[in-house]
Amino acid sequence: MARVPDDLDPVIHAPARLRVVASLAALDRGDELAFPRLRKLLDMTAGNLSTHLRKLEDAGYVQVTKTHEGRVPATYLALTEHGRTAFAEYQAALMDLLKGTR
Amino acid sequence: MTTDPAGDPAAAGRPADAGLDPAEMLRMLREQQDAARDATEPDGRLLFGAWGLAWLVGYLALWSTARTGGLPAAWAGWVFAGCIVGAMAFTIVHSVTRTAGVRGVSARTGALYGWTWFLAFLALGVLLGAMGNAGASPEVMAIAANGFAALITGLLYIAGGLAFGESRMAAVGGWMLVTAGVAAFAGMPHTYLVMAVAGGGGFLAMAGVEHVLRVRRRTEGGGQGAR
Repeated sequence: MARVPDDLDPVIHAPARLRVVASLAALDRGDELAFPRLRKLLDMTAGNLSTHLRKLEDAGYVQVTKTHEGRVPATYLALTEHGRTAFAEYQAALMDLLKGTR
Repeated sequence: MTTDPAGDPAAAGRPADAGLDPAEMLRMLREQQDAARDATEPDGRLLFGAWGLAWLVGYLALWSTARTGGLPAAWAGWVFAGCIVGAMAFTIVHSVTRTAGVRGVSARTGALYGWTWFLAFLALGVLLGAMGNAGASPEVMAIAANGFAALITGLLYIAGGLAFGESRMAAVGGWMLVTAGVAAFAGMPHTYLVMAVAGGGGFLAMAGVEHVLRVRRRTEGGGQGAR
């Protein structure tokens, strides 16, 4: 079976970030997920998840919204259109690999 | 799974999954998305199941006592009310717990949708009260109560199907409109039996369909983008 080559999108071609993007892509367009829910879903430490989110934010794939709920600070995450496209292209590239057309 | 050494600049961004082939990676992505949906969206099987049981048990209680006495017994009315309140409480708790931490379009749509149910049945209660005051017979009241309840349920399921892009929800709504017509023409006491079997049974059948589709999608591996 062919290995996944290195020329796939490097920003999301790292298991942890891929899982972050896949989870956020499961949300409907226009929805955001609170940081603690995402952290629990991925079973990552807060620091680890923050690091990956920063990379994804820098690449323009994830939108990070910092807000307050009452007096408690809250962070919400959503995939940008750019991020959705990147994820779709990544999946399509994997499908192509699977079919052997790449 | 969190083995990516994020803090290591040399390794960051490089594939740490050298052992995975494309098929495994696609499966991993699909499982992650399923897990994300399970964590953030209500489970259709549970909601259809709860309402199916509530209608089946509640309306059967009304039917079984109306069949002998002409009108449902008081205890049957309480059983029915208990079933409806129970299903309502379950729906609210389940939906609110599942969607906690999600905000945006679907949260606003969901809240509005929930309130529409509440207001619609409040209006139905007022309407039935007015009909009673105007001298409607118990038989007319029973037909109106069942027919309008199924009508509201049918329309709101269709509306929900449109709002959430869930075609199976809209299909249940269509079936409930059929149920409304049949329940109205069945007359006393069989209108209750129609509500129990066609209405409650319809919900339960859809809970079964949801379950089969879910198992099939997750074992076959499904296509990309399949929900």
